[in-house]
Amino acid sequence: MIVLVTGGSGCGKSTWAEKLIASAPGGNRFYIATMQARDGESVRRVERHRAQRAGLGFATVECGKDLASAAVPAGGVVLLEDLVNLTANEMFDGGSVERIFPALRALGRRSRHLVMVTNDVFSDGIAYAETTREYLRRLALLNRQAAELAGCVVEVVYSIPVALKGELPCILQ
Amino acid sequence: MIRLYIGGAYQGQEALARRENPESETFPDFHETIRRAVLSQGQEARDFARRFCAEHPDAVVIADEVGAGVVPVDARDRAFREAVGRALCVVAQEAGQVTRCVCGIGVRIK
Repeated sequence: MIVLVTGGSGCGKSTWAEKLIASAPGGNRFYIATMQARDGESVRRVERHRAQRAGLGFATVECGKDLASAAVPAGGVVLLEDLVNLTANEMFDGGSVERIFPALRALGRRSRHLVMVTNDVFSDGIAYAETTREYLRRLALLNRQAAELAGCVVEVVYSIPVALKGELPCILQ
Repeated sequence: MIRLYIGGAYQGQEALARRENPESETFPDFHETIRRAVLSQGQEARDFARRFCAEHPDAVVIADEVGAGVVPVDARDRAFREAVGRALCVVAQEAGQVTRCVCGIGVRIK
């Protein structure tokens, strides 16, 4: 099963994705963490997510860039959080955005379950500078590719899951 | 039963909520209520929402969705979006009915 989870900021999509993974039977659980914490706010965010995951039995794999190099063995149950950070890191920290999707596809093939989290950052109507617009275009393309890859796409709206593609995974309904 | 109506700015959620619940006490612009409670008064977002729901078990809560944009540069703007998200997750869980409004059309998601 490959699932893409999207939603706005603070909408509860991480919590939902974690519950989904936790309810999947069998397989070792891996959490691919992409945030490169550089200031107090992002450190606190990372800590909040860690506390949320505690007890769910995840092995955390840090991977800010170059997803293909993430040390995740085949047959695992994988939560990747998230495409937004991964794209930003590849684009603004000397990587390559183009290599994300092939790595994602390969990860999906070798994993028992893959849940990818992304973020809806496209609906504020603000005309950003070109660099930000380019980032938005690239992230939007990656989201579309990830949605194509996924059998199920879920938008989480203030904690409520809404299926955009496929059926809601029954384990959580 | 709490009823929650959400949507992007000016999507008609308030008119829809009032039309569907003419007799109920309504709480429009609840995202601004959350802003005051959390950013001005320093309440914790989830605690505020839990208390509100306990005190208003039949409220019709109307709010804008504010999280679907680029992460704001200003720390207070970021805190506002996070607070609205966390608080409305609690209200949505407590609510018996959640309706999302797009172009005036309500979609029942819970």
